Amino acid sequence: MTEPQRSSVAPHPDRASVRARIDAARGELAAASERGEGGRQALRQYSHRMDALVQQLYAEAGPAAQPVAVFALGGYGRRALCLHSDVDLLVLFAGPIAAPDERFLHAFLNPMWDLGLTIGHHVREVSEGSRLAEDNAEFLLALTDARPIAGDATLLDHFMEATDPARSARRTLDALKTLIAERHARFNDTLYQLEPDLKEAPGGLRDLFGAQTIAKLTDPALLGQGGSGLRALDDAEEFLLRVRSSLHFEARRHHNLLSHELQERAAERLGYPGSTPRQRVERLMGDYFRHARAVDRSLRWALKAAPMPIRANLVQSPDGVKFVDVRQAAERPETWLSVFEAAVEGGCPVSDEALACVQQHAGRFTAENFFPTPAHRQALLAFLKPRPGLYARLSEMHDYGLLGQMFPEFKAITCRVVRDFYHKYTVDEHTLLTIRNLERLTDPQPERERFARLLSELESPELLVLALLFHDVGKWRDDDHHVESARMARQMFDRLRLDTRGREVVEFLVVHHLKMSVAAFRRDTEDPEIVRQFAELVGVEERLKMLCLMTLADVGAVSPETLTPWKEDLLWRLYVDTYNYLTLAYGDEVIDRTQAALSDMIAERPPDVAAGEIEEFLEGLPRRYLQLFSREAVYNHVRLSRGLGVDAIQAWIDRKDAGWELTVLTRDRAFLFSNISGVLSSFGMDILRGFAFTKPDGLVVDMFHFDDAERFLELNPGGGAQLIRVLQDVIGGRTEVAARLKGREEGAFRRRLTGFAPVIHCDNESSRRFTIVEIVAENAFGLLYRMSRAMSESGCEVDLVLIATEGQRAIDVFHLTREGAKLSPEHQAQLITNLQRALEGRP
Amino acid sequence: MKLLKAIVRPNKVDEVKNALEKIQISGMTVTEVRGHGKQKGHTAIYRGQEYNVSLLPKMEIEVVLPDSIVDEAVKAIIAAARTGEIGDGRIFVIPVGESYKIRTGEKEVF
Repeated sequence: MTEPQRSSVAPHPDRASVRARIDAARGELAAASERGEGGRQALRQYSHRMDALVQQLYAEAGPAAQPVAVFALGGYGRRALCLHSDVDLLVLFAGPIAAPDERFLHAFLNPMWDLGLTIGHHVREVSEGSRLAEDNAEFLLALTDARPIAGDATLLDHFMEATDPARSARRTLDALKTLIAERHARFNDTLYQLEPDLKEAPGGLRDLFGAQTIAKLTDPALLGQGGSGLRALDDAEEFLLRVRSSLHFEARRHHNLLSHELQERAAERLGYPGSTPRQRVERLMGDYFRHARAVDRSLRWALKAAPMPIRANLVQSPDGVKFVDVRQAAERPETWLSVFEAAVEGGCPVSDEALACVQQHAGRFTAENFFPTPAHRQALLAFLKPRPGLYARLSEMHDYGLLGQMFPEFKAITCRVVRDFYHKYTVDEHTLLTIRNLERLTDPQPERERFARLLSELESPELLVLALLFHDVGKWRDDDHHVESARMARQMFDRLRLDTRGREVVEFLVVHHLKMSVAAFRRDTEDPEIVRQFAELVGVEERLKMLCLMTLADVGAVSPETLTPWKEDLLWRLYVDTYNYLTLAYGDEVIDRTQAALSDMIAERPPDVAAGEIEEFLEGLPRRYLQLFSREAVYNHVRLSRGLGVDAIQAWIDRKDAGWELTVLTRDRAFLFSNISGVLSSFGMDILRGFAFTKPDGLVVDMFHFDDAERFLELNPGGGAQLIRVLQDVIGGRTEVAARLKGREEGAFRRRLTGFAPVIHCDNESSRRFTIVEIVAENAFGLLYRMSRAMSESGCEVDLVLIATEGQRAIDVFHLTREGAKLSPEHQAQLITNLQRALEGRP
Repeated sequence: MKLLKAIVRPNKVDEVKNALEKIQISGMTVTEVRGHGKQKGHTAIYRGQEYNVSLLPKMEIEVVLPDSIVDEAVKAIIAAARTGEIGDGRIFVIPVGESYKIRTGEKEVF
C-alpha cells in the first residue's frame, strides 16, 4: 500500500461548506475549552461532528470498487477527540487493495489534509486479520476502541474473526503492559510531577484508558471491584479532559504538558478560587494529584486482578473460567462447552457466574443449538478425551442442567434408582464415575499402569467416553437396558453426525458393555473356546482395548469395593489371551465360501461386481480382513484384483485422519513387503499402523497408515503419483530401494537415542500354519524395512503382518513360513540373529 | 460340625452355590483368593515378553455343616466345580469345635 499523495485532487464544489462545518465544530469546542468546559460532553459533541464530516467525505469520495468501511480509533473511537488531537482512522477493505481502491483512498483522505486535520490512518484488508496478533502493539490497542463511522461495519467483524480473539487479547494486554512500563520509566515511575504531562505521565489519561482497556478485554466489571472505584475514575477522566482541552486551546496545538505557566491559565479557566494565581494553581494541582492517584490506583488494581483472556469471550480469573460478556454468552449456547473445555485445559473450576448463566438459560435451547456446525461437534469429541478434570466438569454440566440439554437421553437417568445387590449410586452418578475411573488412568497408581497404557494407545479415546456416557441411559426402562441404550445412542449419532466408524465403535461398546465382565468373571477363560468366542466378538485389538477399559471403568463405578485387584487380574488375563488370539492366531481363521457374513456382502453388491468374484477374492483371506475394510473397500479390491497379472501392481494413497494410507494389491514375490515399507521410508514416511495379507493363491493386500512429517504429499500435488511410480519401479526391480534409503538411514542411526532393548519372540504354537515372530522395539526410521528385509534374506516368506506403533514402541507381528512350512528351531535361531543385527543397524 | 473350605475356579462359584442350595445349604462365605497348587501358574506372553503368572485367581467358598451332610456337600461341590483339567481346585474339611453368635455372645459347642 502506498501512502496516498497529498496532491491536487480537484476541489470539490461543496468543500467550502465542509470547511465551514469543521470550523464551526472547532469553534464550538474551543469555546467550551476556553470556559473550562472541554470535558466528556464537549469532546463527545466534537467527535459527533467529526463523524458527520468523515461520513460526508466518504460519500463524496465516490463509490468504492469493493466493500470498504471507515472506523474511528483511539480517543476518537472513544468519542473523546480533543481540539488538536490526531483523527485516527482505520480504512478497511473487504478484498485485496487495487488501483481503484487507492484512488478512493486519495479522494477520501486528501480533503481531510486540505482541511488541516491531522489524520492518523491505517489501511488494511480483511484477510490481514489473520495476522492481527502479530500486528504492531499500538494498532492492537487502538483497535480496542474501534467504532464504525462509514461503510460496511461488518467488515471489522470479519477482520477480527480471522484471528484467535483470546490470543489477540493476550497480545494486546502484553503490549499494553510493556507500553505502560516503558512510559512510566520515562517519568521515573512517579506520578508526582511538578509539570505533569496530562496524557503520558503516570496517573494521566493514558493510564486511565489503559485501565479501561484491561477491563474491556478481560472483565467489564473489573474497575468496579477494586482500585479507586468507578465514580472516582469518572471524576478523574472529566478533570483530566477539561484541563487537557484548556491546554490545547491555550497552546493552539496538540500540547499536553501542564507547565507552570499553563497551570496558572488552566486554573483560571477552570474557575479555581483564590486571590492569587499561586493559590489557584495549588488548588488545581491538588486536584490533579488526587485524580492522578485515583487513576494510578485503579490501573494497578487492573494490572493485578485482571483475569487472563483464554478464548473468545472467556477469561480465567481466580474464581475460575468466566464469560467476559455474560449477556452475549447467554444468547450463544454453542460457546458454552468452551467454558468447560477451558476449565479442563487450565486445571481450574468454572466460575459460579458462568455456571449460573448456564443454569439460567440452558432450558431455552435444544440439543442441536449446542452443536450447530461440524467444528462445534468436533469440539465436543475433543472435550470428551479422558484427562484430569473431565469428570468434575461433566458433573457440573449435569448439575447445572447442561448435560441433559446437550444429551436429552442422559436426562432420562437423572437420579434414577435401580435396586440391585451391587450398585451403590444412582445411574447418572454411576455413569459419570465410570468416566472418572477412566480419567484416573491418565495418572495411574502403579497397579493400574497396564490398563493406563491401553488407554494411551487408543486412537479415539473420546469414543470410549461417549460410549460410557450412553452405556446405561437405557436404564430409564426396566428391561434389557443395553438394547435401549443403543437405541438412544443412535439418536445422538444423528444429532452429532458421527462418522460411520464412530457410530460403529460406540454402538458396539454400548451393546456389549457387559460381555467382557461376564466372560472374565463368570466363564472359564482357560478354555480356549471362550477366548476364541470373545475374540470373535471384539474382532480387532482397538475394540478389545476399549471394551477392557470400559469394563474396568464400569465395574469400578459400581461401588468402592466391587473392583478388586483379583477382578483386575481376571480382566487383564482375558485381555492378554484375547489380544494374543487376535494378533497371533488370526492367520488360521480364514474366510470360506460358506461363511454367513458373506451373504450380505453378496446380496448388496454393486451391479458391476459378480457374486463369484467376491467369493473367489475373499476365499483364503484371514477373517480379520473383513473387520478392517468397509464393504465398499472390499468391492473396490475385488474390482482392482481382476486379471491382476504377475507383475501388475494396484496402489493408491488416501488421506486418513491426520495421516495417510497406502493400499497395495499385487501378486506375492520375494522382498515385496520390505520393498514397500522401504519405499515409504525413502520418502521420509513414518509407518504407524498397517497389515499385510497374503492369500494362498499369491494375491497380496497390504495397507500402511503413515505419518508424513516432512509434508511431502501435502506440499507436492504430484507427490502421491511420484511415490507410486517409485514403488512400481522398486517392486518391478528397476530401482534399488537400499540405495534410496542409504543417506536417510545413516542419518537416522547417527541421531538414534539409546532406548529400551528390542524384544524378539518366536512362536510355533499359536498358529497351525505359521511361525509367528513378534517384535517390540523402539520406533525408528526404516525399522519395518530392515526387519522384513532380514526375514526375506533369511529365506522366510512374509505371509501376514500386523504393524502397530504405540508411543515410541513399534509392535509388529509377522506370520512367516519357509518353503511353505513353519520354521525349524535352527531357522528360528538364525532368524533371531539376523533380526538383532538388522535392529542394531549392522550389515 | 465341619468347615468346608473349597478352592474353585472363579467361573464355577455360581454352579457350586446352586448345587449347595439344592441340598439346603445356603449359608456360605465367598472370598476372592489367589494361589496355586499343582497348576503352579503358567507363563504368559504379551507383546513378545514372557512373564510368569504364578498366583492364579480362584474363589474360596467356606461352609460350616453338620457332620451328617459333609459327604453330600463335598460331592455336590465336586460335581459342580469339576472340569477334569488341572486347576479345578481343592476342598478341605476341617473340624469345628465351637462357635459364637456375635450379636448375642451365645456360645455353641459341637
